[in-house]
Amino acid sequence: MERTRSIDNVLQARDISKTFVTDRETTHVVEKFDIEVKKNEFVVLFGPGQCGKTTILKILAGLEKPSTGEILLNNQKVTEPGPARGYVFQSLAIFPWLTVMGNVEYGLKVRGVSKAERRERAQHYINLVGLEGFENHYPVKISGGMKQRVGIARAYCNEPDVLLMDEPFGALDAQTRYLMQDEITRIWEKEKRTVIFVTNNIEEAVYLADRIVLLKNCPTSIDNEYIIDLPRPRSNVDPKFLTIRQEITEVMDKTL
Amino acid sequence: MNKTFWESKWAKPISAFISIFGFLLIWHIGVNSSSLGELMPGPIDVLSRFVGSFSVNIGQYTILGHALWSLSRVAIAYSVASFAGVICGLAMGRYPKFEAAFRPYFEIIRPIPPIAWIPMAILWFGLGELTKYFLIFLAAFSNVTLNAYTGAISVDPELIGAARMLGASDNQIFRTITIPASVPHIFAGMQISLSSSWATVVAAEMVRSSEGIGWMIVSGMEINNMQQILAGIVAIGLIGYGLATFMRFLERKLLVWNERGA
Repeated sequence: MERTRSIDNVLQARDISKTFVTDRETTHVVEKFDIEVKKNEFVVLFGPGQCGKTTILKILAGLEKPSTGEILLNNQKVTEPGPARGYVFQSLAIFPWLTVMGNVEYGLKVRGVSKAERRERAQHYINLVGLEGFENHYPVKISGGMKQRVGIARAYCNEPDVLLMDEPFGALDAQTRYLMQDEITRIWEKEKRTVIFVTNNIEEAVYLADRIVLLKNCPTSIDNEYIIDLPRPRSNVDPKFLTIRQEITEVMDKTL
Repeated sequence: MNKTFWESKWAKPISAFISIFGFLLIWHIGVNSSSLGELMPGPIDVLSRFVGSFSVNIGQYTILGHALWSLSRVAIAYSVASFAGVICGLAMGRYPKFEAAFRPYFEIIRPIPPIAWIPMAILWFGLGELTKYFLIFLAAFSNVTLNAYTGAISVDPELIGAARMLGASDNQIFRTITIPASVPHIFAGMQISLSSSWATVVAAEMVRSSEGIGWMIVSGMEINNMQQILAGIVAIGLIGYGLATFMRFLERKLLVWNERGA
């Protein structure tokens, strides 16, 4: 598939590979992974179970170092994590000793934004994810779906160029998961951001993505790409939706 | 809905009351109807001595005065030990070289019971208050230090990653992530240390002192007054229980965010 190479690219990964070496064995987790992500694009990295999707996302974030290759953010090479990329963790990684407000404003606080300004901006994102009224609650007192909203608001509040989301809804029950998929679409339409979203759920991938990047299993590399140009909000019983879903599932079954 | 007795909120206190009352009754009957009475005063004697010692001096003070002496020794040395321990433990968590150099000392000192130091402590610090402070300090310091260290190194790496992604520097991560994440560990260390400090002050006072709960017991032994010895033991138990309850109360107040505290 032809891939566009343009100045609009916010994030580029070139020839990424990752090898874990232990005393006993060498594991190739990622091999020759290339991607270019355009501004405000919603890209879903989709692939089966244990295939290094999280590793790719952590490399894109700077949380893991690639064995080869480089990451360009706004055409600048980056090697360390930083606030221009936001990360929503599968494990939530909410700070339990901070309230909802404390979590959401954390990034602004460590970067020296004045209290009045960061309160205002944090409040905006708390409202955006629908958590108004819970500002002073500690994470232990709120549900899993609400904690994930805190994680999303916290990442958004830093106003990063790229949002990296690692199976953020993996731990939620099916009902909450559908709800959060609608929410993330609504938030993304309201405040456009570049998103790279990892999932192993095909329905979620087709529901959310502008473009699905189908990954091959260990070592992980790109198998194929699909542009999903269905209008939002999407319906998971729409015949076009089901056709795309079917097509990708068949390709995936062959590669497995 | 009809709740059975065992589901009601009174089940526990009533069970405890019946158990304690039964124990005292067996004690009372045993002492009064067998030769055990020569080895041990009955519960009524002990409790009346205990209650009476709130108004009648034993030595220079009432039992309350002795308890306050012991508690103030613990308060001074335990506070210093906890403060120093938290600093040392967090510093070991922050600076690996510091940890490599000093942690072996703490690991070796921790299993030594503080009372083993009594002869050396008397030689170094004399027979006064300093020796007691030193022993209590030993009882608390290495436990608090090692717990604070464990807290500092066992912070969830995802939380550190999250802070780093949000733009925090290494120093900010230590201050805003490592320290708060260590607080539950630090608190656990301080709870254990408070119990061992309390046990140690009694032992230290038994060796050489002219006031305190430990002294009450030794003086009871010298004048062959079993009621006084047992009244002292009852006081040690009650105060120790009170201190542990106080720490749990503090934990609930200060750690509302923690699962254990919530």
